[in-house]
Amino acid sequence: MDKMKLSRIGIYTGLVILVIICFIPFYMMIINATRPNSEILRGFTLIPGDSLMDNYDVLISYMDVWRGFRNSLFVAISVTVLNAYFSALTAFALVVYEFKFKNAIFVTFIVMMMVPGQLGLIGLYDLSETLGILDTYWPLIIPAVAAPFTVFFFRQFLITTMHISILEAGRIDGASEVHMFHRIILPILMPAIATMGIFTFIGSWNNYIVPLVIIRSPDLYTLPVMMGALSGSPVASNLGAMYLGIAISVVPIMVAFLFLSKYIISSITAGSVKG
Amino acid sequence: MKNNDRKAYLFIAPFVIVFLVFNLYPIFLTFYYSLTNYSGMGGIDNADFIGIDNYVRLVTDRYFYQAFFNTIRIWGFNFLVQMFIALGLALLFSDIRLKLKGVSLFRALFYLPNIITIASVALLFSILLDWNHGGLNQMLLSLGVINQPINWLNDPLYAQGAVALIGAWMWFGNSFIVLMAGISGISRDYYEAALIDGANWFQSFKYITLPQLKPILLYVLITSIIGGLQLFDLPMLLTDGQGSPQGALNTMVLYLYNQAFRYNNFGYGATLAYGLFFITVIFSAVTFRTMYRKES
Amino acid sequence: MKKSLFLVMMVSLLGFLAACGDDEPDLVVTSFTDELQEPIEYFEELHDVNVDLQIIPTENYVNTLRPALESGSGAPDVFTGEIVYLKDWVNQDYWEDLSQDPYNVDEWSDDYMEYVWDLGRDEEGSMRALSWQTTPGGIYYRRSIAEEVLGTDDPDEIGEMFDTVEGLLEVGEMMKEHDYRLFPDEGSIAPYTNGANPQPWVNENDELIMTDERMTYFDYAKTLRDEQYTALAPAWSPAWFASFTGPISYNVGWDELDEDEEQTDETEVFAVSLPTWGLHSVLEVEAQETAGDWAVTNGPTPYFEGGTWIGMYKDSENHELAFEFIQMLVNDEEFLTEWVSETGDVLSYYPVMDEIGEDYSNDFLGGQNHYDFFMERAEEIDASHVTAYDQTIEELFGTQVGAYVEGDATQEEALAEFYSRVTNAYPDLVIPDELEEEVADELEEFEESGDLEEEPVE
Repeated sequence: MDKMKLSRIGIYTGLVILVIICFIPFYMMIINATRPNSEILRGFTLIPGDSLMDNYDVLISYMDVWRGFRNSLFVAISVTVLNAYFSALTAFALVVYEFKFKNAIFVTFIVMMMVPGQLGLIGLYDLSETLGILDTYWPLIIPAVAAPFTVFFFRQFLITTMHISILEAGRIDGASEVHMFHRIILPILMPAIATMGIFTFIGSWNNYIVPLVIIRSPDLYTLPVMMGALSGSPVASNLGAMYLGIAISVVPIMVAFLFLSKYIISSITAGSVKG
Repeated sequence: MKNNDRKAYLFIAPFVIVFLVFNLYPIFLTFYYSLTNYSGMGGIDNADFIGIDNYVRLVTDRYFYQAFFNTIRIWGFNFLVQMFIALGLALLFSDIRLKLKGVSLFRALFYLPNIITIASVALLFSILLDWNHGGLNQMLLSLGVINQPINWLNDPLYAQGAVALIGAWMWFGNSFIVLMAGISGISRDYYEAALIDGANWFQSFKYITLPQLKPILLYVLITSIIGGLQLFDLPMLLTDGQGSPQGALNTMVLYLYNQAFRYNNFGYGATLAYGLFFITVIFSAVTFRTMYRKES
Repeated sequence: MKKSLFLVMMVSLLGFLAACGDDEPDLVVTSFTDELQEPIEYFEELHDVNVDLQIIPTENYVNTLRPALESGSGAPDVFTGEIVYLKDWVNQDYWEDLSQDPYNVDEWSDDYMEYVWDLGRDEEGSMRALSWQTTPGGIYYRRSIAEEVLGTDDPDEIGEMFDTVEGLLEVGEMMKEHDYRLFPDEGSIAPYTNGANPQPWVNENDELIMTDERMTYFDYAKTLRDEQYTALAPAWSPAWFASFTGPISYNVGWDELDEDEEQTDETEVFAVSLPTWGLHSVLEVEAQETAGDWAVTNGPTPYFEGGTWIGMYKDSENHELAFEFIQMLVNDEEFLTEWVSETGDVLSYYPVMDEIGEDYSNDFLGGQNHYDFFMERAEEIDASHVTAYDQTIEELFGTQVGAYVEGDATQEEALAEFYSRVTNAYPDLVIPDELEEEVADELEEFEESGDLEEEPVE
């Protein structure tokens, strides 16, 4: 029994060390965000400095990180909502109805899931230029309507959890198909929507290359593009302001995660087992 | 049911239209461009149709091979480290005898780096790893681990290693969670039977855990390959965005981006996109086959 | 219930976010710095209009603005161009032809420096973009350090020492003896390599031009590094900026070489090569602590760097107001006088420069009249060698010189890699004949040894 206890202590120590290693970069970031440039250049310390507001002034005079935050939030929420709603609609049609090309569409899904997003990047850029929607959010948001992977996931979910008899009962009561989709199917799909929603949100939030190519006005920059622009901006002459800019882009997400972590992690578990 | 056909078309219409316009059409357009010398400026009408010239260039382009090997090398190292830690953690936490507590806390802590914007992470490390004034060297120097600053981002091996380790740092938590889910799905009966047969820890790992985990491992491997082959954000923002040091961070997507959007070789950039696609398909297929061949 | 609440939240959030639009400005100006902020405020007051300044960081400027100019959607009314892509842009039909009626800007040409004027013309000779600046470069140095090490802080005397690269290196040695560093980084010597024999990077036959003078960059940069004349602070890095205000940490990690010397981990930088605008947009901003302790003098050769040209988008709907703005920025004596006295920028417009330059002293430069100095240097500028390729090629060249300086490649390897990268970026360019074969050999060697043997990183 003693041996067990000892090895448990050893393991916990190891785990704590691993956690510390994981968090050192964030800790350095936060500490340095409060220190003036001159001191950061001189060396490293564990104690916060007193230049937080100075750094903030420098940062904000060149780049409105909060705006990037709002922009990213807007895009990610739009993408998540569209993705969930239209994927559910499509999955609903695939499961409930019989129609021509149904199998062809289904096979296309499977193939498309293997296609890397970069394959169409150049074409998307050119299409956007032709349509006059470069430097708008449309090319970032609209494609979310057609997300094969999400449809696939919802379809599997519906097949295992929904009984056609529910719909038949609805029809007898005279409910329209659209009404039934909103009232019956969406609630049934909610757990699956939550799971895929988290992935979709994180994916859109982190997307760098597409907005980098599409967005040009600094007012429209999403957070990742703003981070990229930060290193080439005058802010780069002040390391404290740089660290602060990164911290602002990171800390709110960390805080949000702490509240939602249970939910997110069970979604990952569900996504991997079923997907 | 049959009389509902028309409504079904209505329901799938948004998907199909958007899919055709924003998904399929760009992919075909990209393919068409890959057969031209379009610069990306002044409209496609100004470009010449050059057949497979770009593809000939692709198979003889040493920067493409460099990008390919860099990407694979970085991904491979990242995957090894990530899986080593993730599998180790998953086994520890699922061990019946140890009965470790705090799984959900550790899962959350280890997963955290995964949700941070990669661009922010890249920028953070680009200044942390700076030679003369970066936090890492400063810390190692003051701890006495090293007595000279190491120029992490100027050495090809260190730079690739840094990208791989940052990737592992970001992803081991995710793999850990997924593997935990897989292991907890394995029936306890197997292990108990093995114990009765006198199997030791390693034997039960080799003959029960690994085979039972196969589908999950395949899932982790495939998603990791597909993601790994698309490595872009880290090499783009960690150094000069052109593959420094000495081309060591020139990855396939970075090369694609630079050719198309930095050097204005849209046609060749499109060709690179198809090269990347081809490689992705091959890798996925090979992984799939080798994982399942052993069974039959 | 929960679901509908969630939906309401989402919708209202989206609505809130989407509502963050802005009111229509009268004029949209796009540039890569905030330099135009004050002129715009001046202009807004003057004409009682609302001007929107969009700043796109230099790194993304071309890539992000060009599609808008091509398609016309989201294009600004007025936009600036830096010298590095000016050549390309004046021939792209982005900027309105300013030679034509009602603008007739050619009428002003006598008042301007000729090279500035010529760079803004397209192939047909029509004026597309104008500039208010001239941007010759020099070496800015710290007076107190000059006094201590060289015994004088006089720009003329120091200019004599700097007259050749050898002289520059000699000063570097003296600086080192006193624990100072000549330059922050090796890039500071670059202007004086090509400057000794200015050639375009690419000639009219699409051939890449390599000169012996360009090749000297390898040797000079290596000397600077090996002799420890630089402070290892790469241009535009935080350390580079910090080097203008005081000692910066310096750790070459070569203590084996200097075992007898006491190891110092800090050093102070003496001088830096910067053009005119370096004074008001770099030094005066970043080096307030050392204001008054600076002076500027000549380097071994003349050179110029950067410069902002401005023109109006050809399909702008506000041509009249757009031209008003350009005219104010380039040709309005009252405004320019104020601009100059505020910023210290050096103008290509003689009437204002002549008047101001007469008796002027700059406080930041310890009372020096830098207009005199720079106007003289400006006359030596030869802009005929500017090409559309310069930025990319120079970047690629600098990277390879860097690899050589770091000891990661021999000079031959670095040069071969440079050529190979140039043809990779511009497949249509021809690299110098006599070297083509050498490069081919080099490549073969690389392919044999390079990719195959390496193991995954450990």
